[in-house]
Amino acid sequence: MKKVAALATLLTLTSALAAAPKDTLVYQMSSDIPTMDPGVTYDTASGAVVENIYETLLTYSGASLTKLEPLLATKWTISNGGKTYTFDLRKGVKFHSGNAMTCADAEYTFERNLVTNSAESGNWFLAESLLGTGANAADDKTITWARIDKAVECNNAGQLVFTLPSVDPAFLAKLAFPGQSVVDQKHAAGLGEWNGKEATWKDWVGKDLTNSKLSQNPSGTGAYKLVRKDANTVLATAFDSYWGKKPALKNVIFQKVSEIAARQQAFLRGDADIIDGGGRAVDTEQVKGKPGVLWVDNLPNTSATAFFMNENIKNAGLLGSGKLDGRGIPATFFKDANVRRAFSYSFNYDQYIRDVQKGAGKQRTMLLPESFPGYDAKVSTYTYDKAKAEAFFKRAYGGQLWKNGFTLTTNYRAGSEPSQKAMEILKANVEALNPKFRVNIQAKQWSEMLKDSKDGKEAMTIMGWAPDYADPDNFMYTFYSSNGYYNPRLNWKDSQIDKWLDQARATVNTAERNRLYSLVGKKAYEQAPYILVPAGVGYTFVSANLVGVSASNYNPMISFANTGTFWKELSKK
Amino acid sequence: MLNFIVKRLIQIPVVMLVLSLMIVGLTQLLTPEQRAAPYIRSEQQAARLEQIIEQRGLRDPFPVQYSRWLGSTVKGDLGYSKASNQDVVTTIKERLPRTIELTIVTAIPILLLSIWLGTLSALHKDKFIDQLLRVLVVLGYSLPSFVVGILLLAVFYAYLGWLPGSGQLNVINTFALGDIKTYTGLLTVDAALNGRWDIAWDALQHMILPALTLVIVLSANIIKVMRNNMLEALTSDYVRTARAKGLSPNVVNRKHARRNALLSIVTLGGFLIIGLLGGSLITETIFAFPGVGQWVVQAAIGVDLAAVLGFAMLTAVIVVLVSTVVDILYGVIDPRVRFD
Repeated sequence: MKKVAALATLLTLTSALAAAPKDTLVYQMSSDIPTMDPGVTYDTASGAVVENIYETLLTYSGASLTKLEPLLATKWTISNGGKTYTFDLRKGVKFHSGNAMTCADAEYTFERNLVTNSAESGNWFLAESLLGTGANAADDKTITWARIDKAVECNNAGQLVFTLPSVDPAFLAKLAFPGQSVVDQKHAAGLGEWNGKEATWKDWVGKDLTNSKLSQNPSGTGAYKLVRKDANTVLATAFDSYWGKKPALKNVIFQKVSEIAARQQAFLRGDADIIDGGGRAVDTEQVKGKPGVLWVDNLPNTSATAFFMNENIKNAGLLGSGKLDGRGIPATFFKDANVRRAFSYSFNYDQYIRDVQKGAGKQRTMLLPESFPGYDAKVSTYTYDKAKAEAFFKRAYGGQLWKNGFTLTTNYRAGSEPSQKAMEILKANVEALNPKFRVNIQAKQWSEMLKDSKDGKEAMTIMGWAPDYADPDNFMYTFYSSNGYYNPRLNWKDSQIDKWLDQARATVNTAERNRLYSLVGKKAYEQAPYILVPAGVGYTFVSANLVGVSASNYNPMISFANTGTFWKELSKK
Repeated sequence: MLNFIVKRLIQIPVVMLVLSLMIVGLTQLLTPEQRAAPYIRSEQQAARLEQIIEQRGLRDPFPVQYSRWLGSTVKGDLGYSKASNQDVVTTIKERLPRTIELTIVTAIPILLLSIWLGTLSALHKDKFIDQLLRVLVVLGYSLPSFVVGILLLAVFYAYLGWLPGSGQLNVINTFALGDIKTYTGLLTVDAALNGRWDIAWDALQHMILPALTLVIVLSANIIKVMRNNMLEALTSDYVRTARAKGLSPNVVNRKHARRNALLSIVTLGGFLIIGLLGGSLITETIFAFPGVGQWVVQAAIGVDLAAVLGFAMLTAVIVVLVSTVVDILYGVIDPRVRFD
């Protein structure tokens, strides 16, 4: 018995050391960190490390999504009718390698991003701004070294100059993306990365940099430098020669712990300051209100989700009879606006918010987060209205739809419980209107859905979008333009909306852009190309010992979404 | 004997070749889009799906894809694992020693405990101790490792706070890893050789709960087999003869009965080691223990084919090596078995 007691005491004493030390931030995550090379950083997990090891020219000011402030740049001017951006770069900035940051490093960085522009990266939107196309030189033969070289240069005064082929009001916001962080040219070239010379640029076109030498051995200007990365851990420590204010936390540790139960226990015991949760329902039950927990609610949600109603279904397998005879649908089933409106009135938005989002959700007027500029809260929204749904179904196809009925097959991403529930709500309400209406729901693997939806082979599905940069164009053009990313999944075209969206792209006048987006929102409400799924209300939770996490300084564009801040802004009590 | 070992070693590339053909063949049942999906991390990237398929030659005919894989494997390149974000060979080099360490810490108590308890149970057939052990065996059989793991975590980590919960080291000690010179790849041993007893002790503590989980779950089968073997041995002619010769019960039980009862335990022990070295998948995942098991679970979920293939190759090597050792041990325990 004495031996057991002694062992217990020993174990207790040693495990007491396990709690996260005061100068160390411990974050237990569910996913891993795919890369630490900014040139290919596109996911939030990688971004959460890269944005703290590296720095961009500018960043969001506090919680604002519209105000940008200098970071590695000290100021910038826009000239040539909005097509030339000239940046003054901060002096006395050092990379972790000890090399001094110069304009040549910044030039190298953006040229490297334009040269590689791999499929895995988010550099397509930088290329759109600077080259007028999202493609790289392998896919678009008109891209030459001369075009890349001209797009970004250092002038004699040591300023960084971007020359755009046309106006892009989102350009500055794009530069705040962690993937556009400035890298250390000497260090990178020394490791065997591209040397920045014309002679070798072609060898690097389209190259996937996920596992690049720079990813394994990063050198940025950020407040933290990488100590080591192994199978489950990323260790970073404060960079002594950082140009800015010295961070309060000396160390940052990211540990991968796949099991939610293990993460919760570590968090509640104080071994982790922050963990990845398990969704609002789980976190409310297991974590909220427990001692030592700081729960921050009502945070902005910057993703948008919708039911897509395809007006040109290129998949005979989903059409049944292919006719309006009750046993199928024609490929152009959703072309009649009355059908789209009827479906929009058939979805029970309140039920979805209550059942799926546990009451923490709200309807949006457009497929644009309300925290983004251009959002117009005054645009009308659809409500669940059986009578209106019935009226529109009766009007559709000159009454043939109501008389004959239809069988529609919809797909949702396998494993996505919210999508499944949303589909079930819609199905129940539509089928209740008319016994001749039938909606079949099928789960589908993501990989297949990606391909089929892109090829226009889905009749109706649910998909979402998260922003790359805080500009309304990233949502509005994506969802509503007939040239937008999502159009092949929808095949909906409205010439007036296309015109407005193009106009909004071509001006830097914010008031004018907001007016145009409002017009798009109103017309889209009338035309109902999508059923807008209510947006969940954002929340986070951290250890109450952690200082610097609050709704007032939470920026949803910061990749470290657990705090919505950079690590350097955090401290511990 | 040497001839026997060489023959077995020659089997390794053959087994690997057959396995790889089977697995690469099976992967062809997945569409190129499915095989490209692990490279897509967001809806935005889906626009580049076709480009990824083309870059990686996922639409090439099977012989082309297979020979490409074989060509790089021969050069020691098993491809890039999305699940570990590094190449497969580096991943195995980094993670296998950790799994070996956990295997050692786990397999020794399992084997010693099972042999002892199985023998005890048989010697006290139908008495209280036997009944109790049989109940425990049924429990061990019935409980899945994730249930045992979570229970142990809840009790010893969350509630009592006696043992660490997950990972390989306490967070702050992970910084010290860079200062430890690697001799064996086994963290406890290397830390001790570096004079860092604190790290060695910490690493050992982190292995207690995963090891205990595996001991509870994996001992049941061996205890049961050991008990049955002992019961059979105790009623055999040679034991009766030994008793008739007037040998003490202790000598009869240990030298005659148990020695023979151990034969099938050697085989079972071989399977146990293969299983543990191949990665204790669920246990490593629950305890975030960074061994090969945790990696392959992530790889399987993420359709990480390079990792799955690499893991299969590793398993093939382990199976052939361990079964060779088991056969040699057979010969040592039972002189009637010879390797010609």
